[in-house]
Amino acid sequence: MAGFTRRRLIATTGIIGVALSLGACGMGGSTPASTQGTGSTDSGELSGEITYQTWSLKNERFTPYFEGLVAAFQDENPGTTIKWTDQPGDGYADKVMQQATASQLPDVINVPPDFAFSLAEAGKLMDLRKADAEALDAYTEGGVQAYEFDGMEGSFGYPWYLGTDLNWWNTKAFTDFGLDPEKLPTTLDEMFEQSKTMAKNSNGKMFLMSSAPGIAEFYAAGSPLFADGEFVFNSAEAVKVLQRYVDLYAEGAMPPEVLQSTYLGNSQLYLQGKVAWTNGSASLPKDLAEQAPSISEVTVPTPRIGTPPLFVQGISVAAESKNPALALAFAQFATNNDNQVEFVKLAQGFLPGTKLANENPESFTDAIEDPNMAEAAKLLAAQMPDAEVAAPVQFTDAMDTYTQQQITAAMRGDLSAQDALDKAVKYCNDNLPS
Amino acid sequence: MRSHRWYTPWILVAPAVIWTVVFALYPFLNTIILSFTDTRALTGGKWVGIENYSRMLGDEQFGNAMLTTFIYVIACVPLLALLPLLLAMLVLKQIPFISFFRTTAYFPVIASVVAVSLIWMWMFDSRGIINETLQFLGVTDAPLPFLVDRWMLLAVSIGLTVWRGLGYYMVVYLAALANVSDELHEAAALDGAGTFSRFLHITIPGVRGAMLLITALIAVSAMRIFSELYMLTNGTGGPGGENSSLVMVIKQFGSGLTGQVGYASALSVVLFLITLVPLAFLGWIQNAGDRTPREKKQTSRRKAGATA
Repeated sequence: MAGFTRRRLIATTGIIGVALSLGACGMGGSTPASTQGTGSTDSGELSGEITYQTWSLKNERFTPYFEGLVAAFQDENPGTTIKWTDQPGDGYADKVMQQATASQLPDVINVPPDFAFSLAEAGKLMDLRKADAEALDAYTEGGVQAYEFDGMEGSFGYPWYLGTDLNWWNTKAFTDFGLDPEKLPTTLDEMFEQSKTMAKNSNGKMFLMSSAPGIAEFYAAGSPLFADGEFVFNSAEAVKVLQRYVDLYAEGAMPPEVLQSTYLGNSQLYLQGKVAWTNGSASLPKDLAEQAPSISEVTVPTPRIGTPPLFVQGISVAAESKNPALALAFAQFATNNDNQVEFVKLAQGFLPGTKLANENPESFTDAIEDPNMAEAAKLLAAQMPDAEVAAPVQFTDAMDTYTQQQITAAMRGDLSAQDALDKAVKYCNDNLPS
Repeated sequence: MRSHRWYTPWILVAPAVIWTVVFALYPFLNTIILSFTDTRALTGGKWVGIENYSRMLGDEQFGNAMLTTFIYVIACVPLLALLPLLLAMLVLKQIPFISFFRTTAYFPVIASVVAVSLIWMWMFDSRGIINETLQFLGVTDAPLPFLVDRWMLLAVSIGLTVWRGLGYYMVVYLAALANVSDELHEAAALDGAGTFSRFLHITIPGVRGAMLLITALIAVSAMRIFSELYMLTNGTGGPGGENSSLVMVIKQFGSGLTGQVGYASALSVVLFLITLVPLAFLGWIQNAGDRTPREKKQTSRRKAGATA
């Protein structure tokens, strides 16, 4: 008996060891633990269980919405279970990468277009055009196009919510330092001129511009970014834009921190009262009211100068889902017009991705009570038709980091604007997947 | 009579062996294998031989990171090997409220590196307390670019690392100093040895073991420096990426959906190899120091015989 027990013990230890090894190596098979069932029954009814993953949306404001969304779907489709999970904002790309490499991508997943591009390239996302081409007609053209990629057949995400941003100005700083708050800059020329005036009149205590340019600024100035499979943003237009920033920094009209600020650094400096301009979404008034009430009172928004940026969030379906029918049905349900309108009523300042809602903007803007946010939402809605996704989906975070490093090096005077952009373009092209 | 079967020891060590293989040996070997491939995060890769390693030779980011790492080690090792020792000797004195100072010196160790780095950022930015003070005192006319100048930022970061490490290594030295005999100090004092002479010939030899351990720990952690530089550069690596450490470069290449896992693995292997250098050097010093005078005499006699 004792020998038998020991043999069993050895066998059990061995099994645990093998299971651990395979689990750790990501070789434990591709069956997502949470996907069960076969999707639709013979009668066409949906059944089984799927997972649904959102990105940084589990909080007091959004949790009741998602719980209600899941409950409503399950009520409409008895016998189905939707397991909603949310991932933190930081490190989402790495989390999705881990899930994808372990073949454990959630059945329905919230990903932006650049994530969707990488996942689709690796065959991890369902082609929604192939699955249900008609359904795509309900969504805005720009939103759908954001999930269709050159050289890849198909459509890989339902547009869910769209955003762009505005200019926000500290009018008190304009008055204090000899500028007219009634004549806020509307062109880049005016922006650079007023930046110099403000820095000069304030003896370097207050600045207007507080961010280094990126490829979005080059695109807004008319530079091509990506053509014929390679990056080309070292154009004459882009060099000219960068040179203006180099000159402005050399004149002391920008704070030193501009050389190491990321995108959010711009708005952080604004909230700290160190600069008189930032760009940001319609939610900025909320941050101002909470963190800088005195600045909130003197802040006004205007439309962006040049081509406004377009930010798209979408819902995709995993190609390896064990319950594709249910996953597809839920993805369509989560992004249908009614649910999108209800969502953007909470995510104020964003626009829905359906055609119907955008034709009737009052269906979601009427819910905004804060007059500042309501005004911003109107400006955003008016600006949205001109907004474009600037960065190509091939432009990775590593490329962005390297490009910004070269741009800031040029602003510090380490190399010329042309050399900086040539180096950045070479790096981006060298690091494109072969 | 046999008390156990032949495989009993294997069963007993199995959990430890499985743990080591799965969580240490396999990832290490996998990293080495990946370093010879062009693997990307999602799309896999193929064998490319030493291409990743030869790529490093012309990689400006790698060159910058190596220089930053080298300077970090050169600056941190002497500072953190000596300053905590002086601090430990100071707080060892029996004076009123010394426990309070001893505890306070340890505070930076328990503070979050992220929180502390943010405070240092505020202190050193163009309108931070340091620049405001310097301008108020008339030392400078304009703010010094502490956070955007390559060398100033490196100095600030090293200062932060040293400040955070003082308390930790002080505690190690306190334990070591407890083993240094007071009688030796008294005897040396009677023989006319001054404070510095006693520090040099009694205290330092007395804490030699701890000092070697601390030197090794500092060298290794300085080579793997990440948090301070990452926070102080706002994650950008500074203009031109000149303030990136090797770990920051590894993160830049290896993370995300399009991460170049193969190249990042090669960088990790190089980091591992250069980490071995100070450890090997210190091991050699330790062995040389541990040999008895008789062993040393035998070695020199053997050498003399070989040359005769």
